[in-house]
Amino acid sequence: MTVGNRTRAALLLLCAAVLACASAAWAKSRHPLRIGLGEEPRTLNVWMASDANSNNILSQIYQPLYRHTPEETEMVPWLAAGPPEMEADGVTYQVRLRPARWSDGSAFTAADVAFTCRLIKEFKIPRHYSRWKFVDRIEAVDDRTVRFVLKEPMAIFLTRSLTIPIVSEKEWREVADAAKKQKKPLATLFNHTVERPLGTGPFVLEKWHKGAFLHMKKNDWFFGQGLRIGGRLLGPFVGEILFKIYGTSDVAMLALKKGAIDMYWQGIQPGYIENLEQHPEIRIFSSERSALYYLGFNLRRPPFDDPALRRAAAVLVDKSFIIERVLQGYGSRMDSILPAGNEFWYNPNLTEYGEGLNREQRIRAVHRILKEAGYRWTRPPVDDAGKVQPAAGLRLPDGSLMEPLTILTPPADYDPHRAISGLLIQQWLRQAGIPASARPMSFGALLQQVKARHDFDAFILGYGRLSLDPDYLRIFFHSEFDRERGWNMSGYHNPEFDQIAEASEKTMDLEARRLLIYKMQEIIARDVPYLPIYLPREIEAVRTDRFAGWVQMLEGIGNIWSFCQLSPVN
Amino acid sequence: MKTGNEQRDTLAAPAGRRDWLAGGWALFWENPIGKIGLILMACFALMAAASFVPPLLDPMYHPMHGVDPEISHATGPSAAHWLGTDFIGRDILSQLLAGARIAFMVGLSAAFMSIFFGTLIGMISGYAGRFVDTLLMRIADMVMVMPTLLVVLILSSLFGQLRIWTIVLLIALFRWPGVSRVIRAQTLTLKHRPFIEAARVTGASHLRIIFRHIFPNVLPLALLYMTFRVTSAIIIEAALAFLGFGDPGTVSWGMMLQWVWKTGHMFQAPYWLLPPGICISLLTLSFYMLGRAMEEVLDPRLRKEGESE
Repeated sequence: MTVGNRTRAALLLLCAAVLACASAAWAKSRHPLRIGLGEEPRTLNVWMASDANSNNILSQIYQPLYRHTPEETEMVPWLAAGPPEMEADGVTYQVRLRPARWSDGSAFTAADVAFTCRLIKEFKIPRHYSRWKFVDRIEAVDDRTVRFVLKEPMAIFLTRSLTIPIVSEKEWREVADAAKKQKKPLATLFNHTVERPLGTGPFVLEKWHKGAFLHMKKNDWFFGQGLRIGGRLLGPFVGEILFKIYGTSDVAMLALKKGAIDMYWQGIQPGYIENLEQHPEIRIFSSERSALYYLGFNLRRPPFDDPALRRAAAVLVDKSFIIERVLQGYGSRMDSILPAGNEFWYNPNLTEYGEGLNREQRIRAVHRILKEAGYRWTRPPVDDAGKVQPAAGLRLPDGSLMEPLTILTPPADYDPHRAISGLLIQQWLRQAGIPASARPMSFGALLQQVKARHDFDAFILGYGRLSLDPDYLRIFFHSEFDRERGWNMSGYHNPEFDQIAEASEKTMDLEARRLLIYKMQEIIARDVPYLPIYLPREIEAVRTDRFAGWVQMLEGIGNIWSFCQLSPVN
Repeated sequence: MKTGNEQRDTLAAPAGRRDWLAGGWALFWENPIGKIGLILMACFALMAAASFVPPLLDPMYHPMHGVDPEISHATGPSAAHWLGTDFIGRDILSQLLAGARIAFMVGLSAAFMSIFFGTLIGMISGYAGRFVDTLLMRIADMVMVMPTLLVVLILSSLFGQLRIWTIVLLIALFRWPGVSRVIRAQTLTLKHRPFIEAARVTGASHLRIIFRHIFPNVLPLALLYMTFRVTSAIIIEAALAFLGFGDPGTVSWGMMLQWVWKTGHMFQAPYWLLPPGICISLLTLSFYMLGRAMEEVLDPRLRKEGESE
């Protein structure tokens, strides 16, 4: 080989290597982020969506004016350009918007914001209406300024009202106008099928192949691209996302191990962790949640209309046992309706029923509580010699025999933790002679029985993604919400609580409001309409060999910050 | 030994019946399938009987509520827990034994009920003929085409979790038509036999003819079908429990499988996954084998050449 030939060959090799590198880099950037979903999203109609999978997809598309930073310490302007400016009257707010565009390239304006807020008010959209009904007027001052006039000063306006997803007037105007002419406008709005949602978020829906996958592409018009918000430089740095639907967690875990997906967007059972940890390219995230899992009682009828019996049940329920065994340690006990992580509002001085007691001590304590309240047994749980024995024939203070009662739980298929907790609680109540039996039933039927028909004795349910603002305390227990399908599922009525709750909603001074929220927690802990049981952690698994940059925050890593910051691994 | 139905004409004589039973038993025992089936079933019956023992030894061996105070996660076999523990520290062996009891209870009672309905309807249909026959058989056809598992799943999701006895009853209600068809066919051949004619001529009532003369002759066939029904009842209950529609208050093998699955231990805890799975297979196999051997006893056409009578 001559020198010239050798040089040519070397050049050729160099070119080939450069080409190979370039094509690999190009291929990598083309490789989509693949995410496993537990179920098919039920709808892409943002007003109708209530399931986690639909909300996961829609959260990439529809954006709010403000959102929490990953550290959850403050709200940062998202579609808004800066914090809302409150006028001297205390009820007028002005919000300036960022220059942004919808995913079809049309301009995002103040008219869109005003339209969204009016739509919620006009249709009384159940999930959002309670945070907008106190807003009197919404005006688009100019293209980039919106003015809100409240009926009265309201503490929850920034944290609860201005965090709703904003929709495009162009997309929804006709739908809303047509729905208004129907007999049931809200139902018509809910039934509207959305195929290509128009949003301002980092991704747009490209294709939804039902039963198989959803394909999303980067939104070239995303307002946050290249901006630094909340101290973070936003992308997205990923060109495409492919959401694959997996029917069961087992299959999804196999897919994750094989590298068929990069993340499974659903909490996984602790049972998987040991096996997943054997794979070095898989990382487990265990995140705090803002949730509440509780035992609710029906205060509308005997026997749980008696606070003494509810307190007795609270002593019998061994929360530590449930956390240590059922949750495998991935959770913490709850004594307030508020999670302890919500440090500003959480009242740490509440009664910790049964804390530190062993089973026998719990039974003795309950025997004492119920005896003092006038309950009698044919065979008491503690005999005359002070020995604990199987109890039977519990009689109410009025002398009647306690009827068998049922604890409704979601089925193990839906949530094994709650179903098994129900069985354990049934057994613990029986030890004191309370004739309880756990009855798992399908989630829809359970909600129907508890929320709509109020036909139950007790139930175990949970709330996820509770807002940091503790206004839900008012919504869960104010007597105003004890109605068909209302949030006050226990049927709790307490004028003292109602009065404090109403004041808490309006008090603008943070310290004063905190005292009110503390008092509300105390009252609920005393009367026990709900017995908070546990706060589970969110366990998620991702592969680290293709993408990096997951942002962990409350409720896990599946959040908009992650999707705006994820980038391919070099 | 006399074959088929002709021996039943002489069943009135106790000695003849004894001979037939002895001959049948000899034939059954000669069949290795029958022998294995019977031994397997006896093992499971022993397991079911033994299920009462562990909770008496220590409350931690209670299959549903007992937990080992030292163990709070799934662990493999050890001296204290021969098959290991489940994710909250319950003993898997105790659950397996309790599961055997539930499987027998579900299998036998559902099979007995479906055989009871099937035999009764089959006999009435075959004996009465005409309109009654047509009506009952069309109903049987309609029930027969309904997929049992699917219907019970739907009912369960509509009315909440079903209790074990409701599940048993539902299985029985959907599994009688097959039996009734066979019994009806047998009744049709019987009702024209001379001994039935004779009974009718001597003034026996319809009820007496059905229960005193036809019933003893279809009984062996009904018992044969019962063994097959036990198999299907056990499998349906296990499938229901596995899918999350079983009775949560009972520890059945299907329920154990569901716990393994739903708590994420499917690939991590073979000591928990395999025992219930193997037990379901073996118990259903044992009843199937019993049925096959019984079939050979009752139907001479299935016997090998030169086999004893």
